[in-house]
Amino acid sequence: MMKIEVLGSGCSKCKRLEKNVKVALKQTGMDAEVVKVEDINEIVNRGVMLTPALIVDGAVISTGKALAVDQIIKLLNK
Amino acid sequence: MADILIDMFQGGLASLADYMAAHVLTCLVPAFFIAGAIAVFISRQAVLKYFGSDVKKYISYAVASVSGTILAVCSCTILPLFAGIYKRGAGIGPATAFLYSGPAINVLAIVYTGQALGYDLGLARAVAAISMASVVGLIMSSLFDAPLNATSKGKKPGKEGRASSSADAGSGKDDSAPGISIDEPLRPALVVPLFFIFMVLILVIGASTIDWLIRLPVVLVLIAGVIVLLIKHFDRDEVTEWGYETWDLTKKIFPVLLIGAFIVGVIAVVLPPETFRPYLGDNSIIACFLGSVIGTLLYIPTLLEVPIIGSTFGYTSGMMAGGPALSLLLAGPAVSLPSLVVLQRIMGTKKTTAFALVVVLTSTIAGFVYGNLFT
Repeated sequence: MMKIEVLGSGCSKCKRLEKNVKVALKQTGMDAEVVKVEDINEIVNRGVMLTPALIVDGAVISTGKALAVDQIIKLLNK
Repeated sequence: MADILIDMFQGGLASLADYMAAHVLTCLVPAFFIAGAIAVFISRQAVLKYFGSDVKKYISYAVASVSGTILAVCSCTILPLFAGIYKRGAGIGPATAFLYSGPAINVLAIVYTGQALGYDLGLARAVAAISMASVVGLIMSSLFDAPLNATSKGKKPGKEGRASSSADAGSGKDDSAPGISIDEPLRPALVVPLFFIFMVLILVIGASTIDWLIRLPVVLVLIAGVIVLLIKHFDRDEVTEWGYETWDLTKKIFPVLLIGAFIVGVIAVVLPPETFRPYLGDNSIIACFLGSVIGTLLYIPTLLEVPIIGSTFGYTSGMMAGGPALSLLLAGPAVSLPSLVVLQRIMGTKKTTAFALVVVLTSTIAGFVYGNLFT
């Protein structure tokens, strides 16, 4: 199963990204585990400086953006 | 008893009227749009590469001191960025420089300080934040970086130091550009600068005192110009994102500011600014020091430092002098007790304590210099 992590310290953009990820999963019917990473040291250890960030199966695929639902779907399909 | 309550309520309303007056709002609204646009249309990755460990130090410091304008529009992005620069990039000096100036020099803070407290203090805030940031960074770096350099130089002059620094450079590069899979859309290079010039002109002209018969048409033409640029060169998603970003910022900052301005007015009735006059009323070094310490300990929500200084401490009514006001403006947003707790988790107690002390020291000096030479 795919593992999707949303990194962010809890600002509104981070929450929007998390919400959009869940909507995207529902729309595509994909099965994935969504984890929210809020600890700042943990975020930095992933090499992320701009939150919110999206990590899929360990690979950072987007930083600093609250991606829209269709952008997330496009990225997940790759 | 009822009289006091009515007085307090009226005080709150009067304060709201002061800090939400039409001339303030005409400025704040475009500023929110500009802040939103900065977050969406300016590539922050491009700025981040100057924070890598392989970049010349003086460039890192210079960029750290001014890049708050672009990077730190939202206060919740500051700490992750700080942690990233500190642990994976240019190190403690540029990281603390960024932390010091970032919150003070974003477009919202400068515009609001200028409109509500006067442009002399607004300008002083920006200039002092930028210039003292490098000082803070250099002091932190000399306190904590020096022993490391000394040992590596002591062992094998040059060679080893260079080897380790090039290893850092490699990792620094990887980290500063984590795989960005969404391509930036291509548009003529001048479009984005032109867009921002229009936006800033709207703000400046909208806030000016030119007769509105001239002002209104000029602003409308500029808005039309922005719309043309948006239609021709930006796609739908970007404009939506800009809207979202602007709304996010407004939603986050504005209600707190409204309630805060009201509370500030209420407090002023119970605890008049005269109370603080003996302590903050002149430009002595002690007054500036007190201003710094208050700013360091107090948690102040974004932009609320302005009514607090204006009314609670009475800068507007002449009860607080310019020096301590600037000290508080500098130290206030840079650190607070809650942010120190997070900083402690990132870089440990010793460095956090040192940082807080350096912030108090530099903010005191900046306020003292400003208060005695420029007011």
